[in-house]
Amino acid sequence: MTDTPLPGTRPNTQDSSTPEQRRIRRLRRQRAMNTFEAAVMIVIIVLVLFPIGWMVATAFKSPAVVYQYTMWFEPTLENFRNIFSERWNIGKNILNSSIVAISVVIIATPLAVGAAYAFSRLMFPLKRTMFQWILLTQFIPAVAIVLPFYVMFRTLNLLDTYFALIIVNLSGVLPYAIWTIKGFIDAIPIEAEEAARIDGAGRFRVIWDIVVPMAWPGIMTAAIFCLILTWNEFLFGYLLTRQHAVPLPVGLISFVLERGTVWELVAATGIIITIPMFFFAMIIQRHFTKGMNLGAVR
Amino acid sequence: MSQRRLAFFLLAPALLLVAFTTIYPLIVSLWTSFHDYNLTRSLNMGPWIGVENYTEAFKYDPDFWKVMLVTATFVILDVGLTMLVALGLAVLLLRQGFGKTFLRTILILPFAMSPALIGISWRFMLNPDFGGFARTIGAILPFMRDVDYFANPYLAMGALVSSDVWHWSPYFCFMLMGGLASIPPETQEAARIDGASAWRVFRDVTLPQLKPVLVVAIILKSVFALKVFDAIVTMTSGGPGRETTTLGYFAYQIGFRDYQFGYAAALAYILTAIMFVLSLSYMRVAFRNAP
Amino acid sequence: MANISFRGVTKRWGAFVGVHELHLEVADQEFLVLLGPSGCGKTTTMRMVAGLEDPSEGEIWIGEDVVNDMSPRERDVAMVFQNYGLYPHMTVRDNIGYPLKVRGTPKAEAKAMIQAAAEKVELVPFLDRKPAALSGGQRQRVALARSLVRTPRVFLMDEPLSNLDAKLRVTMRAELKHLHHELRVTTIYVTHDQMEAMTLATRVAVMNKGIIQQLDAPEVIYNDPANLFVAGFIGSPSMNLVEGRLENGGFHAGLIAVPGVGGGNRENIVLGIRPEDVTVGAPGSGQFDMEVYTVELTGESILVTARAGKTQLTAHADRHFRCEIGERVGMSFDVARTYLFDAKSEERIRL
Repeated sequence: MTDTPLPGTRPNTQDSSTPEQRRIRRLRRQRAMNTFEAAVMIVIIVLVLFPIGWMVATAFKSPAVVYQYTMWFEPTLENFRNIFSERWNIGKNILNSSIVAISVVIIATPLAVGAAYAFSRLMFPLKRTMFQWILLTQFIPAVAIVLPFYVMFRTLNLLDTYFALIIVNLSGVLPYAIWTIKGFIDAIPIEAEEAARIDGAGRFRVIWDIVVPMAWPGIMTAAIFCLILTWNEFLFGYLLTRQHAVPLPVGLISFVLERGTVWELVAATGIIITIPMFFFAMIIQRHFTKGMNLGAVR
Repeated sequence: MSQRRLAFFLLAPALLLVAFTTIYPLIVSLWTSFHDYNLTRSLNMGPWIGVENYTEAFKYDPDFWKVMLVTATFVILDVGLTMLVALGLAVLLLRQGFGKTFLRTILILPFAMSPALIGISWRFMLNPDFGGFARTIGAILPFMRDVDYFANPYLAMGALVSSDVWHWSPYFCFMLMGGLASIPPETQEAARIDGASAWRVFRDVTLPQLKPVLVVAIILKSVFALKVFDAIVTMTSGGPGRETTTLGYFAYQIGFRDYQFGYAAALAYILTAIMFVLSLSYMRVAFRNAP
Repeated sequence: MANISFRGVTKRWGAFVGVHELHLEVADQEFLVLLGPSGCGKTTTMRMVAGLEDPSEGEIWIGEDVVNDMSPRERDVAMVFQNYGLYPHMTVRDNIGYPLKVRGTPKAEAKAMIQAAAEKVELVPFLDRKPAALSGGQRQRVALARSLVRTPRVFLMDEPLSNLDAKLRVTMRAELKHLHHELRVTTIYVTHDQMEAMTLATRVAVMNKGIIQQLDAPEVIYNDPANLFVAGFIGSPSMNLVEGRLENGGFHAGLIAVPGVGGGNRENIVLGIRPEDVTVGAPGSGQFDMEVYTVELTGESILVTARAGKTQLTAHADRHFRCEIGERVGMSFDVARTYLFDAKSEERIRL
């Protein structure tokens, strides 16, 4: 440290602090940063978990405790017994939602794989236009779609049926699935497919033996995403069902009564709606970032 | 089999389904919007009345402009806040450190939750007597005690926006994380060696490179915000008054509560037009550097 | 096993011509190398044999069949890809066995064939691994084993060694040559590496801009190039090419004059001479003097690059030769080893 610093170029050497002091200051600043970051993290975790935790707690509270601001109570399974009782019969809603969601996934996924493969690998006229057009349909407001469907289903006597719900849910889910899976197929090196064709596989065999296994994470991501979207879907179910085919989220409305909302039953049902979706979401979480950007930017 | 025939074979089912479930109802909606169609008077569609349903909205219905204002307010607040939160989360999560994996895992939870359920939970949480949010806020800010959140226009809007931000921030956080991760670290390292502070590196180097992804995210979120429906039904029912009635919910009310299908179709079409403009700009950004 | 025949084959994408009116006969059991810079049409030519691209015009024959309208499956060819094209979700065993599985070979028979193929390329200990758990050289062997597990009529290899490191490339090159000798299957091999072309080929087809520039045995390609492109492309360091004119059989270019080249009087000439046919010595000792621009020691020899005016030449000097940058040196050509080309048509001028 004997050489004279050039003015302005080495501001750090202009103060008189020793290297030791600077080291301490750097560590102190670092510790302040870490503390700040930890505080932010805690706030975020609380904000994410507090509403969920509150719902879980409420689901296990007896009706009297629900109306108290407390986390100390004797847990009970009474609310779950209650929602499955004949009075509320949430089991029926679970069945409805399962039938609709599973049907949608089973129909949408293979169709989407085929379409995604065509968009990714084949040459045909109007390809780009068709693909953009399919994406555009995702942005159509549901209100514009549900009105004509309401009239049509009423005429055909299909209101309040699984069929009606499956059809309208497919409209929202299929473009998304095509989009996601195409992103994953685009990322597969084409050599493996060409090798399979030379090894003697026909086009469909190539799709089944090579493309499907290699794009499997993407297909799973798309399928689970479709499952979550359909399972949580509210608007179509709200407007197109009355009593027979009412899906789970719409079933929540039935706890809103003249005399007020039965919160502990809402919470118990909420847990039943949410837990399977949490589980599925965890499975795709790893592919989440990747799949989303392939879909969004390409 | 030729490529074209194979492509046709693979595409036809998906295309037909998409056409039937979106294009067909869209055309019917347009047709309906030019007719007098009031379910309280007749089960069948009435006579052709041209653009009268549209002039009704733009010229005569005082609620329409109120609803447009509410919609604009909601979209701006919702998109702005979601982007801020998502970007902050993404920056935080990309830094190595204790608890990051845990945070990343639990962030998927709000996204996996049904918006209808979130809406109804928020109404519960904001109950001034026993709601978890309301009582906690009341404990910290005494003047907020015993406030009826859903009777106050600003608080009701705030509640609606906060529930949507809570639901969507994780999704966009993951999206922006992908964008941030694809920025070559050399550019940031070079800026640091050139003497930029952490904030300057973020503003001058990181943010400009993130812009394409950010623009896509903003347009996408705007579209999602315009589509919000479930939480309005289960939380505010558009109230107090029309203070949280967005265009989509308004069209629903006109159609399914007042049974004025013709007018509802016209309103839905105005919404479709707005979304269409946004979607086209999305396409232009998203496909600009695509092969 | 079969011969391959291209009859007037053209491949176009819109206005871009990838391969132009190709006529080529590949004899049965031949090892033909398609050599050229990237974008010259060599890979396209091979992919048309495989059935991965359809020719825009012309016919391709394998043996007695016109294969234009056959799917890759019906053509009975095998191909090794530059990036190997392995199936990452299958084990090595399943990768090698896939062509058999698709063709419905009975399980027991397939097992024996897989074993035999794996033995041939020394992969037996790795049969149950996935490709991700293999080194580059091992993956290369899997791709090879997959192509030779059944006996196809034709082997196609698309730069199969280009992703290997230099040492492994030399070993694999030797193995490929031995395999061809053993199996005697007609092979088309695409590369941009002239060493591979020289060492492996029965015949080399040098391609540029979709056209075969020269089709000959490797030593002919090297010693007797048909045109300026082949002369410049083959050889490392590449041939010196000097623009100038002929005056009474002497070559003149700027400050250089070389007598005794022949050819009388002619304008617009390019003279080619390989660095090993240029001699470097003390100033005044050669046909003309130049100033040393750079000196590179390669170990076995010394490369001297020198300039006079705008003309630059590279010469292989004896490894004991020493000179400094900026020094003057005398240079001379072995006139018997010079090649003359027409600067406009780029064709060889034979005297």
